[in-house]
Amino acid sequence: MLVMSRRQGETILIGDEIEIVIAHVGRSRVKVGIRAPRHMQVIAREMKLVSEENLLAAGAKASGLSHLLGRLHPRAARVEDPEMPG
Amino acid sequence: MPVMETKNFGKISFEPDSELEFPVGVPGFDSQRRFVAVRFVESDPIIYLQSLQDPDLCFITMPILAVDPCYKLNVKGEDLGQLGLTAARQPRIGEDVLCLAVLSLHETGPTANLLAPIVVNLRNRRAVQAVSPESEYSHQHELMPAEASVCS
Repeated sequence: MLVMSRRQGETILIGDEIEIVIAHVGRSRVKVGIRAPRHMQVIAREMKLVSEENLLAAGAKASGLSHLLGRLHPRAARVEDPEMPG
Repeated sequence: MPVMETKNFGKISFEPDSELEFPVGVPGFDSQRRFVAVRFVESDPIIYLQSLQDPDLCFITMPILAVDPCYKLNVKGEDLGQLGLTAARQPRIGEDVLCLAVLSLHETGPTANLLAPIVVNLRNRRAVQAVSPESEYSHQHELMPAEASVCS
C-alpha cells in the first residue's frame, strides 16, 4: 500500500479524474473531500460491508438458520423439536 | 387490521401502529422503509423483520443482548437524529430503544452483524441500521453456544 503524508488543505490525485482533499484534521478523525466522476461509487468501507451483509442476510432461508441456531444457541434450542437430529 | 401476503409466513395481519418506519431504508435496500417485527413462541428469541413493501424480503434478527449480553451501543449523532433521539447521550437498550442484530447464514455457520445493529426508538417506532465504524464489533460475529458471560 502506498502511504503518503499530507497536511490539512493538501490534495492527492488518483489518475486524471479523482481528487482527494484533506479538508480537516481533527484529534481522532479527518475530513476528506473527494471529487470523482459521477459513475464511480464513493462509499465508506463499512457501509459496503453492511450492504453486502444485508444482501446475504436477506437471502438466508428462515428454516435453515433457525435449525442451526437451535444447535448453537441453547436459548433458541429449548423450544426446538427434541426429535430433531444433531 | 391490515393484512400482508409474505413469502415466508403466508398472510400476516398486524396492528397499524406496530409498523416500523426506516426513514432511509437499510444499506443495500434503500427504498425499503416499512417493516414489521414478527415473532413466534417456537423460534424465540428470533425476531423476523418483514418488509411491508416486498413480500420476499425478510431479515432474521435477534435481540443484540441475546447475542452479546455486554454489547455497548454506539449510535452516531446523525442516526440519533433520524430516530428523533437526543444526541446528548447514548440510548438505553430496552428502555429507549429495541436493538436487533441481523443474522446471516454462512457455510461455516450463522453470524450476527454487531457492527450495524437495527435500532428502533420504542416511543415513535422509527428505526435505523446504525453503522458504528468506531466500534470494535464485527459485521460477521460468529454465533457460539451461549456461555454464562459476565459484563464488566
